[in-house]
Amino acid sequence: MKTLEAIPQPILGISDLTVSYNRVPAIHHLTITLDSGHCVGVFGPNGAGKSTLIKAIAGLLEPETGSILIKGRPQRRGAAFIAYMPQRDAVDWDFPVTVRGLVEMGRYPHLGLFAPFSGRDREAVDEALELFQLGPVSHRQIKALSGGQQQRAFLARAWAQEADIYLLDEPFAGLDRTSGDALAKALHALRDRGKLLLVSHHSLTEAEALFDTAILLNGELVAQGPTRDVLSSVNLQCAYGTAVYSG
Amino acid sequence: MNLHTITNALSEPFGYAFMQRAFLSCALIGFTNGFLGTFVILRRQALLADALSHSLLPGVAVAAIFVGLSPGGLLLGGLVAAMMVALGGQLIARNSRLKDETAVASLYIIAFALGIVLIRFSKVRVDLTHFLFGNILGVGDGDLWIAYGAAFITLTTLTLLQRQLIITLFDGAVARASGIRVSLIETLLMCLIVLGLVASLQAVGVLLSIGLLILPAATAYLLTDSFPKMLWSGALIGMICSVAGLFLSYHANISSGPCIILVLALLLGTAYLFSPRYGILMSSRRRGHLHDESLERWEGHQGHDHHLPGPRE
Repeated sequence: MKTLEAIPQPILGISDLTVSYNRVPAIHHLTITLDSGHCVGVFGPNGAGKSTLIKAIAGLLEPETGSILIKGRPQRRGAAFIAYMPQRDAVDWDFPVTVRGLVEMGRYPHLGLFAPFSGRDREAVDEALELFQLGPVSHRQIKALSGGQQQRAFLARAWAQEADIYLLDEPFAGLDRTSGDALAKALHALRDRGKLLLVSHHSLTEAEALFDTAILLNGELVAQGPTRDVLSSVNLQCAYGTAVYSG
Repeated sequence: MNLHTITNALSEPFGYAFMQRAFLSCALIGFTNGFLGTFVILRRQALLADALSHSLLPGVAVAAIFVGLSPGGLLLGGLVAAMMVALGGQLIARNSRLKDETAVASLYIIAFALGIVLIRFSKVRVDLTHFLFGNILGVGDGDLWIAYGAAFITLTTLTLLQRQLIITLFDGAVARASGIRVSLIETLLMCLIVLGLVASLQAVGVLLSIGLLILPAATAYLLTDSFPKMLWSGALIGMICSVAGLFLSYHANISSGPCIILVLALLLGTAYLFSPRYGILMSSRRRGHLHDESLERWEGHQGHDHHLPGPRE
């Protein structure tokens, strides 16, 4: 007898998703299916709904229509396997927390309110710090890091959380070339470990090197698939050459 | 001054029951509000808390009209009034265009004006300065119980919810995405602020109560990069300075509220100037540190940053 588990489930299934701000839709009737082990770039002009899509998957915005299934189940807030990484300017970099303290926050969803830090939690934190090359700076306050290290610290938190889906909102914004390259390598290392990464991205240059898969938005879904195919001139003309469809 | 005089000066105030109560109350309130202050400061709600402190007044006035000058009644009145301003402000912010600081500022100043008008109608003669600046020497057993209660509720709640609070304070969006009910946590924090203000009403009054909440944590914020250290050192600074301020007020015969605040201010000023990491006068030492750091970063670029995580074995 075939059990439910035997049917391969895409890790993220979005169908007919519409999300609105004050009843003005920002994305319309999106249907997207994504499997693990991909680094997905979300592209589109300003107002195309890149951040909206990321936030909806994170559970920060309520869908008006449609559904988001994660591992075959309706998405809910607080699932430890989804890690949302905020835009850099949304973070209070003066917060009294060290890199290690930040990564430890990733364990909180597993600990609940009262459980004390166990040896296993400490191991997970050590592993994340080592994986993202943060060991030597783990005692530093988060402001005393380079931009690239700051991004990697947040990735390390998500790793310690044992997340399977990483949602990143414009992580490359404001990073210089070296830090950007380092971040890209870290993202690819996560992809190679079977994680799904969804990354909203502003620039089209080097898109192919960064992302194996692309989603092109213009309020609606313009195209989805391998990056080279999605970012064809026809599709780009369709996404950027016309006014954003806004209901 | 020999040892004997110092011991005398320190022990003399404890000869009076009212001073014992005053010291106990000071230590409790200083500790609790110093602890709570960390959350207020990191949430950037110092001015919001200030607004709330002013809104205690109409509640106190209404209580004075209806139940006279019993401490329990007055504090209950203040609690209700400040809660109404705090929760009313949140309600207005959520369902109108007005942002929360506009809503709360409008409500508190209306409440403050209302309070001053209402106090004129009180049957008993109410001395406004008593409420504005407090009178620690008048701390009764009822006030002490209120301080115990406030300390217990505040410290237990903050300790139990510490993890959720840290994530919420650090990044509201991430907290929401992690399933934390951020608005509930915010409301709870607001209620604790009101409780802290009410508990310190008798000691330092409406106008200075905010100082016990903000100054110790602000000092701690300048001294440490660790959240738990900020929490506990804020509490200790609050407790020690309150007691020291009370000693000073006793011997110099100045009112206790301003004395406590000025002792706290002295410590904040010292931290602002001389904090090893964040003091503005320590910048000459910091320059060397920054140089080391840029050197380290430069060396990192030579290889360290490029060496990226390999596949996990």
